[in-house]
Amino acid sequence: MTEITFTFNGAGVAASGGQSLAAALIAAGRREFRVTAGGKRRGVFCGIGVCQDCLVTVDGTPNRRACMTGAVDGMAVETQSAFPALRSDAEVPDTPRARVLTPDVLVIGGGAGGLSATIAARRAGAEVVTLDERTVPGGQYYKQSADGGLLDAQQAEGATLVEDARSSGAEIINSVEIWGAFDGPLILAESENAALIVRPRTVIVATGAYDRPIIVPGWTLPGVMTTGAAQTLWRSYRTLPGRRIVVCGSGPLNLQVALELAVGGAEIALVAEAAPSAFRHPLRGARCSIHGPTLAWKGLAMLCGLRWRRVPVRNGLRLAAVEQYEGGLSATFRRTDGGTCTVRADAVCMNAGFEPQNEILRLLGARMTYDPAVGHLRCERSQTLETSVSGIFAVGDCVGLGGAPAACAEGRIAGLSAAALSGHGDGRGLASDRRALRRHRRFQNALWQLHDVSPTPLDSLPEDTVLCRCEEVTVGETLAGYAVNPGHLGTLKRATRIGMGPCQGRYCGPAAARLIAEKTGEALTDRSFFAPRVPVKPVTINAVFSAEEALRGDE
Amino acid sequence: MTSDLLVIGGGIVGQIAALELAGTGARVTLVDAAHNAGSTTNAGSLHVQMQSRFIRLYPEHAPNLERALPYYKQAAECWDTLEAGLGPMHLVRKGGLMLAESSGQMAFLEEKSRREEAKGLDVALLDRAELDRIAPWIGPWIVGAELCRDEGSLNPLLVNRLLAKACADLGVICISDRIDGLTVTADRVSARGLQGRYRASEAVVAAAWGSGALVRALGVDIPTAPEPLHMNITEACEQKIDHLVQHAERSLTLKQFGTGQIVIGGGWSAHDHGVDTVPGVRAGSLLGNVALAARLAPAIGTLRIIRTWAGMNTTADGTSIVGRLPGAERVIMAVPGDAGYTLAPLVAQMAASIVLGRDPPADPAPCSPARFAA
Ligand SMILES: Cc1cc2nc3c(=O)[nH]c(=O)nc-3n(C[C@H](O)[C@H](O)[C@H](O)COP(=O)(O)OP(=O)(O)OC[C@H]3O[C@@H](n4cnc5c(N)ncnc54)[C@H](O)[C@@H]3O)c2cc1C
Ligand code: FES
Repeated sequence: MTEITFTFNGAGVAASGGQSLAAALIAAGRREFRVTAGGKRRGVFCGIGVCQDCLVTVDGTPNRRACMTGAVDGMAVETQSAFPALRSDAEVPDTPRARVLTPDVLVIGGGAGGLSATIAARRAGAEVVTLDERTVPGGQYYKQSADGGLLDAQQAEGATLVEDARSSGAEIINSVEIWGAFDGPLILAESENAALIVRPRTVIVATGAYDRPIIVPGWTLPGVMTTGAAQTLWRSYRTLPGRRIVVCGSGPLNLQVALELAVGGAEIALVAEAAPSAFRHPLRGARCSIHGPTLAWKGLAMLCGLRWRRVPVRNGLRLAAVEQYEGGLSATFRRTDGGTCTVRADAVCMNAGFEPQNEILRLLGARMTYDPAVGHLRCERSQTLETSVSGIFAVGDCVGLGGAPAACAEGRIAGLSAAALSGHGDGRGLASDRRALRRHRRFQNALWQLHDVSPTPLDSLPEDTVLCRCEEVTVGETLAGYAVNPGHLGTLKRATRIGMGPCQGRYCGPAAARLIAEKTGEALTDRSFFAPRVPVKPVTINAVFSAEEALRGDE
Repeated sequence: MTSDLLVIGGGIVGQIAALELAGTGARVTLVDAAHNAGSTTNAGSLHVQMQSRFIRLYPEHAPNLERALPYYKQAAECWDTLEAGLGPMHLVRKGGLMLAESSGQMAFLEEKSRREEAKGLDVALLDRAELDRIAPWIGPWIVGAELCRDEGSLNPLLVNRLLAKACADLGVICISDRIDGLTVTADRVSARGLQGRYRASEAVVAAAWGSGALVRALGVDIPTAPEPLHMNITEACEQKIDHLVQHAERSLTLKQFGTGQIVIGGGWSAHDHGVDTVPGVRAGSLLGNVALAARLAPAIGTLRIIRTWAGMNTTADGTSIVGRLPGAERVIMAVPGDAGYTLAPLVAQMAASIVLGRDPPADPAPCSPARFAA
């Protein structure tokens, strides 16, 4: 792998080619990337382009996400100020670059579900284009190493899937930011400064999920990140998020990542699981092993691996606060008996379940219902995994949590069905995938009974806890805003500015929606959440300009 | 429910009217459908000069618009007083620029500014060199502009918050309900809502697009029409754009809020799903509106659009509708003309003074709803 150097605020940083800026900076011990309007420092939080807290200025261009931008030799990277300068020498891009694509099947997302769908649709003879936001293919579960090396069986399995998808004849484009989804369907995206305009016959949405955080005082501090972010740092870029690490929340991902980081050489100071130990619920544990013996076995092996490395795994501990402490962090946990304990570390990783990335589906009008068991919306689908909107399919975690094996099976079903709908093949031969899917779903149901992803009620948090990371709105301000402007989330947004920043309410939105449901006693529905809006992700004005030039006279 | 005075519609006009009325000690009830208010979705431009968009889209309204120019100037000044009384609204009145890209457009601005000056507006024509001094971020194609020093902008979210608090402090009773019928008897007005009945001695109708339907049964046909419009906002950048920016020929407004964000709008259309549903964003409007902004101000090209939305504007015949309803004098109309947020304080104060029998701040005669009476 090539060695490169770039500068951060003028100082040289050595990195390996293919590393993300975020990984390279963290490896160099830099974790503060941007300064908020309120003067607070922020760094990598989500690691997958959702939170917008890793923004940096790259070669004079402001607000680039360090986690989604590859480090390039000679780059000049700077801390992002909240008010970047306008360039008065700027010119309108004179030759806007744009590509218009009209595939039979457009797959959005290159993870387990998207790649499986790509292969299936292509094998059925459909012309397939697959767009993925990340620089490294494979999505959350199968994410690959930037240097092509293989860590373990999971990555090897992913490598095969990526290779099969690539050699299938589908066009797979990475580093694509999808920002527009309109009826038609018309999908607009930005890819390396060029506009992509896609008018597909069918769409398979496979956008996955992002980590649900634990909203507590200090969750915005640099060094606090989602478990998914830590995993991306390690699996894709062989970068440890810190030397001494705390992992907390609930769910199997925490155990897996703690073990991976320990094997990678980090000291895991604590793994804190909110739910009581599985041994206290032998029946639930047994149900898991009946429905998914292999996966249950994998879970047990992870626990043994952690024990063997003397990593303390404690159940019944909830994160209460994170503070800065002598250049590092100190995390305080509350035990079920009310007592507290404090652990020092230089990185705190958190995951308390997942939120589906369902923005594109909601924008296109796909019907959703709220699933109280996991606390998020689920997309309604037919047997062929078509949503309520004809020609729009949805697979994997963006529909509602399901896990990678289920996403693969769903991808194959939707891929074949979308191909058939666009005139390729008969969509038959899905029986074994349907059976597998039923098995995976039973396992998932049993699995989540062992964990506790119930979010902390906002009104139990200290008033000065930041709720909206982008606009720096506190829990107290939100509650006060609600008291004056009862009603729905849109009213609360206008009254307090929660959700008005660049992450578009991805973290504060679900939390505030739950708050309002609690206060009003009304059941959560699709309309309880922020109304879906374009752009799906922030998009540069120049990219919109290029798309407009290419589309002019077309609408 | 009975009170002294009833205000129907709780947008900017209804709220300011309620404040004015409650300030006299009257018991005021404000009933609002809390739905599709232009006041919660508008762009916060304080318009004074004639907007080219109206002249192009509704040429038949142009003479009305021209006659109304003094109201706009006075309304913009009302905002200064309002901010002084209520608190910071990010109100800036450094003027508005209408940019021209050709000598033809310059000639149009020249003629327009002459007519506006005659109506008392503080306007001037700027050539490129003068423009470069005050707006160094403009694109290379701009040849000149008209500057209207009366114009500016404010942040409606701040205004709405301050007004809601002021109304609560003065004891205005705010109710979420939709009125679907008005009856007027010799001594009172009765409004039938979905959740209840509201009675008062007089009622101010400030229901924007909902106003026409409310009073149709009372015999006056006021053509208030909903007009779904599109808006965009960027992330923040350094404070650099001081003016409200428009284009001499095409639909555009662009300005920088006190938050550092740039707000791009100007009347691009949105999908109309009926007044009961929030309008939807059209791809063509987003693309066209933002691309036009990029051409005029290339310096903002690397900024990102973080949000777009669509809101419900109201159009009638270009002139505000203020005054007692012919044949149903206990009903007082308060519907602003084009650029209604700008006009709101003046329209609300005119309506309130009619109710209270005070001297109105401006002559309401040209705004009388009598023009719609059969
Ligand atoms: C996207 C957009 C951008 C704009 N930009 C600007 C700008 O930059 N500058 C400017 O000056 N103007 C602008 N406008 C226009 C401006 O917003 C409106 O003219 C102004 O807000 C009107 O205020 P209002 O109080 O009359 O009505 P609204 O704010 O529309 O409020 C009317 C209220 O009445 C309620 N209502 C309706 N019918 C009933 C009923 N039957 N019973 C009870 N309640 C009812 C509605 O639900 C609503 O809450 C813009 C408008 C839009 C949509
Ligand atoms: S860490 Fe890069 S966007 Fe969240």
